[in-house]
Amino acid sequence: MSAQLPKTKGIHHTKGEPLVWLTAMGLTIGLVMVASLLLVIISQGVGVFWPKRVTRFVLPDESGKRIEVDGVVVKRQLKTAEAGKAPIEEIQIYTGNREVYSLAFRYLDVHRITSESLPADALLIERLENGNAIGTPISLKTGSSTGLPAEDPSFRSGLAKAIEEASARRSAIDHLEKHVIGRNAAEISELEVRAKSAAPDRQQALEADIATLKTRYQELAAEAKRLRKVQNEQSLEYRLASGETRTVAIGSIIDHHYPNQLGFLSRFGRFCENLWNFVSERPREANTEGGIFPAIFGTFVMTLLMSLLVAPFGVLAAIYLREYAKQGPIVRMVRIAVNNLAGVPSIVFGVFGLGFFVYFVGGSIDRAFFSQCLPNPTVGTGGIGWAAMTLALMTLPVVIVATEEAVVAVPRGAREGSLACGASKWQTIQRIVLPAAVPGILTGMILAMARGAGEVAPLMLVGVVKLAPSLPLDLEYPFFHLNQKFMHLGFHIYDLGFQSPDSEAARPMVFATTLFLILLVIVLNLGAILLRERLRRRFATAAF
Amino acid sequence: MDPVPEVRLAADRFATSRTTLVVDRFMTWFIKVGGLAIIVAVFGIFVFILLQILPLFQGAKVGEDRIVQAPAGATVGFGIDEWGEMPFVAYRDGSVFFAGAAAPVSMGLPASAVVTSSSYNVYDQRLTLGTDSGALSIATIAYDPKYDSHSKRTLDVSARTSTPMQLGSPGFPLLSVAYAEAGDERLAAAVQEADGRHHVWVAVLESSGGLSESAELTLGERIDLAPQLPGKPERVLIDNRAESVIVTTATGSVCYFYRHDGAYEKRQFFIPFDDQVDRRVASMDFLLGDVSLVLTNPAGCNRIFSLHHRDGGDIRTFGQTKELAPLPAGAETFAVSTRNKAYVVSAGSTVSLRYGTTAHVRWERDLGYRVRAAVMNSKYDHLAFLDDRNAIHLRSLDDPHPEAGFQALFGKVWYEGASAPRFEWQSSGGSDDFEPKLSMINLLVGTLKGTLYAMLFAVPIAVLGAMYTAEFMHPRFRAVVKPTVEIMASLPSVVLGFLAAQWLAPLIEMRVPSVLMITLLVPAAAFLLGWIWSRLPMSMRSRIRPGYEFIAFVPVLFAVCWLGWMLGPVLEALVFTVPDPNGSGRIADFRRWWPAVTGCSFEQRNSLVVGFMMGFAVIPIIFTIAEDALSNVPKALRSGSLALGASRWQTAYSIVLPTASAGIFSALMIGLGRAIGETMIVVMATGNTPILDMNIFNGMRTLSANIAVELPEASEGGTLYRTLFLGAMLLFGMTFIINTVAELLRQHLREKYRTV
Repeated sequence: MSAQLPKTKGIHHTKGEPLVWLTAMGLTIGLVMVASLLLVIISQGVGVFWPKRVTRFVLPDESGKRIEVDGVVVKRQLKTAEAGKAPIEEIQIYTGNREVYSLAFRYLDVHRITSESLPADALLIERLENGNAIGTPISLKTGSSTGLPAEDPSFRSGLAKAIEEASARRSAIDHLEKHVIGRNAAEISELEVRAKSAAPDRQQALEADIATLKTRYQELAAEAKRLRKVQNEQSLEYRLASGETRTVAIGSIIDHHYPNQLGFLSRFGRFCENLWNFVSERPREANTEGGIFPAIFGTFVMTLLMSLLVAPFGVLAAIYLREYAKQGPIVRMVRIAVNNLAGVPSIVFGVFGLGFFVYFVGGSIDRAFFSQCLPNPTVGTGGIGWAAMTLALMTLPVVIVATEEAVVAVPRGAREGSLACGASKWQTIQRIVLPAAVPGILTGMILAMARGAGEVAPLMLVGVVKLAPSLPLDLEYPFFHLNQKFMHLGFHIYDLGFQSPDSEAARPMVFATTLFLILLVIVLNLGAILLRERLRRRFATAAF
Repeated sequence: MDPVPEVRLAADRFATSRTTLVVDRFMTWFIKVGGLAIIVAVFGIFVFILLQILPLFQGAKVGEDRIVQAPAGATVGFGIDEWGEMPFVAYRDGSVFFAGAAAPVSMGLPASAVVTSSSYNVYDQRLTLGTDSGALSIATIAYDPKYDSHSKRTLDVSARTSTPMQLGSPGFPLLSVAYAEAGDERLAAAVQEADGRHHVWVAVLESSGGLSESAELTLGERIDLAPQLPGKPERVLIDNRAESVIVTTATGSVCYFYRHDGAYEKRQFFIPFDDQVDRRVASMDFLLGDVSLVLTNPAGCNRIFSLHHRDGGDIRTFGQTKELAPLPAGAETFAVSTRNKAYVVSAGSTVSLRYGTTAHVRWERDLGYRVRAAVMNSKYDHLAFLDDRNAIHLRSLDDPHPEAGFQALFGKVWYEGASAPRFEWQSSGGSDDFEPKLSMINLLVGTLKGTLYAMLFAVPIAVLGAMYTAEFMHPRFRAVVKPTVEIMASLPSVVLGFLAAQWLAPLIEMRVPSVLMITLLVPAAAFLLGWIWSRLPMSMRSRIRPGYEFIAFVPVLFAVCWLGWMLGPVLEALVFTVPDPNGSGRIADFRRWWPAVTGCSFEQRNSLVVGFMMGFAVIPIIFTIAEDALSNVPKALRSGSLALGASRWQTAYSIVLPTASAGIFSALMIGLGRAIGETMIVVMATGNTPILDMNIFNGMRTLSANIAVELPEASEGGTLYRTLFLGAMLLFGMTFIINTVAELLRQHLREKYRTV
């Protein structure tokens, strides 16, 4: 038999190249999906803060009458036409003025619009209630007088000044009502308690004090009332595109600007301002307006608390498993089991947290110490403390595994050198092993924090709420309120997107919140990854 | 021997300091105890959840007897208050004795009257009495709770009756009586034997004079149903809607009459024990809700018949739904729970507490005395029995979860009103007699459904991507690709769920054919491109270096997706058309085509969306682990294969893939574990309907989503609460087993690599 030599062709091809391309497809799809997902969130999330132009649309209504409407274009889309007909292009516009139009959004069929223009003097007014208003200013009124007309050259500065003053007054009222009067009331009730148990001769003095405080309260309340009245003295009159004239009290205007007169730089400035307000303010109007500060703060405090809880326990358990426990089949099994706990669904930990921490532990504490408040639970209900404990339990395996890996990676030589120098076992761990393992432990901690910050399902069971009246950490005694319910970025997304009565209005807020959460999680993860890379390099050079 | 000189072997400065030793000893102790405690505590989660679900599978606990002696005399009725404190006994002479009272009191019947039959409604505390003169009287037992300053409760008891109404023929005793009120409708029935003839009298009662307290009842026109019966009537029942009259006969048949516009329509006639030796009916009573009949025959056979649409009929008739464990003889007493579908029957001295829905015997005992009557209080925490010496035996009952049990949670259950046994999850409902349906099977199927679609989407992409990354990709990209994928893994699931529901679901809803096209076109394009590419002249091929293919594929991917997106409506117009209901021609609409062709529904938030997004969440996990397994295959194997002339694909497919197969399998398992437990995506992107099918275009409810949705509203320690814990336990168990298998596989693989 003679082996045939392969014919030499002009084209030479290797076996299986098409299949290589198929595998390349897998990777490409994966990467493109991540990229497009992030792109969707970033574009939608960032766009929320960018000030947009107000367009005036003129179109006939159902009866053929000409109507005008001002609005910010939100999106263009194809409408599902009636069966058998071609789809119609429509635009969704944000009209604001919810109290007039009953909805803040409206859909317009593109082919019906007769004209579009950018009214130069369109004014966007952010209000305390009913969202934004869009209109053309007429005049700034004081009391019932005609006031300052919009044509007046000093109108703009006058309006800006009035709104600024109103804002200052609003924070003054806020301070007065929340803090000064609050402290006054607390002092009164404290004195009253003391007066009850005091000796008769002291009682008189105390009662006199109480009376002074009460007079003071009257004064403060009167002052607050006066300021509130001042807030409503001035008002802004404006005209809607439909021609209707409306007024808004200056005191309920938070901010205003002329969107069609902004240049790029001032738009950018407003963008930054919007961003800052979003991060630093409390939510208003069923979370659809305002900022997400309490959610950020709640997430932050909860994650911090969780880290403080999980770090010592995780490190302790890992050191026990690696350094003290006798290595054998049992420890191997324990290690596998701990590893697998990281894969147990988070909701299971939530269920445990609710059953054990909230109802069992919290309920027992209530029965033992707060029985006078029952059946209203004091600590036997969801709270930031229980939530942090639940998440700490959930992330414990992550920390144990990461610490174990870091401890194992410490070169044997370093350990033996220490022992040879006469250091005790604990001294070796304390001075040699742990310092070398710190970056690894930190990586594990950061991963745990990222997981804790993004987790929602267990929190829904153990104390997260859509709107918390106060922060878990504040200036009121005892400063740190472990039993307080809290807000959380992840739950904020869920709540706004799915439980909100006006989900259309909440949509920009959800995307912005989503962007925030994603950024937080990505930053934490990137930190962990970078730390790990550094760690690898360090041990690569430190090999014996 | 020379004395050993005293030598100081070490200077003090070489001795370990005491503090060091103490600290070391303390830390050793501390770390051992602490570490062990933490590990034990972590596994305590398992134990805690287990303890929460155990009560679901336990039977009823019945306490010890507390005996109160009632005066002697022939008894005719037995009842109990809401709190189970003061049972009462009614006598034939029309007096009633409350446990704890000194002597019987009169109910206010005429002195001459002798009560011959009665029926008792524990919910309304109403005793319907039939007398020897053929009259019917409605007695009301009033338990008035009074609270003293320490909020300790005492009960003020009284009993009064309505004026007797001559429902039967005068002078002959009523043998069985029944009465029901539903709003203004009042219906009474009685069985009577007069002059050797049998009667079943029914009559509507009218209330004269407004409010109930002082209202007098008067008898409306009475009708005799006996002529329509196939035999001698024995017992009569009326349901709580005052619509159905049910009569048993001595020959063992049951007749069901339905009152409609004043007439009594004979709806059904059946013999419940037709297949038994003894066909007679020994007892017949309603379960809570009055749509199920509990029947026994003298031999002790116990069956439940429920009203439902049988064989597709449009009228509900009685059909057998349950057969329970037999009693030693026909039931002599019966007591119904007003809280759930439980009932108590007794035969001789044997008492049995049973649950109708699950056909489960909760508790059965030979009490050692003959039970003449039994009652259950409306709180379902006390039982009372009356023996033949008129002693009242009061027992506490502890049965918090009668509706649970293995059969209810994992088996098919024939619920009232249903036409067949089935798996169903519906934990709460609107009405009082609603029974929670707690089948875990629906949730398990939902979980598997979501997982299946997610894996269908994720596995090809993740495994192919991992193969490319480990085998073919240029090494310089690895430093970027792996962290990118890890970040993908860390995206919070609430974000994915939100995007799935608010962005993807509306996008896909109208473009299913486009999605279909893209799914087909993308792999085809990849394959075709590779094929063409490998046949191009070398000069052209060298433009793309090996390991850079995935970048070259990006524009192709976009182009193909765009093409598929645009071709979707074309495909829809060609294939997915349904006839236009209001006109000629056909409409191209996949959303209507799917239900028309398959009979399954089409929803916006469907498994396709969930599969896509959950797949997205799972891809990075599978990718990372599979990539690790592939790239850890010893280099020598790869080099050997390439040196022997195999192409890179041949090396990857025939050498690397088989070696790493255990690792890839373990990656799939871990991905599966994550998909099973995924919560937020499912909560947000499906309708959360607990249905039992695999249709890709409707939703599902998974175990985890079910917990997230229902646990915040479940009351602590209730059946639903514990059932949700059971769901958590199932999740825990499933993922733990899957992960353990995966972990063992991976360790096995590591050993293998070490020896290669």
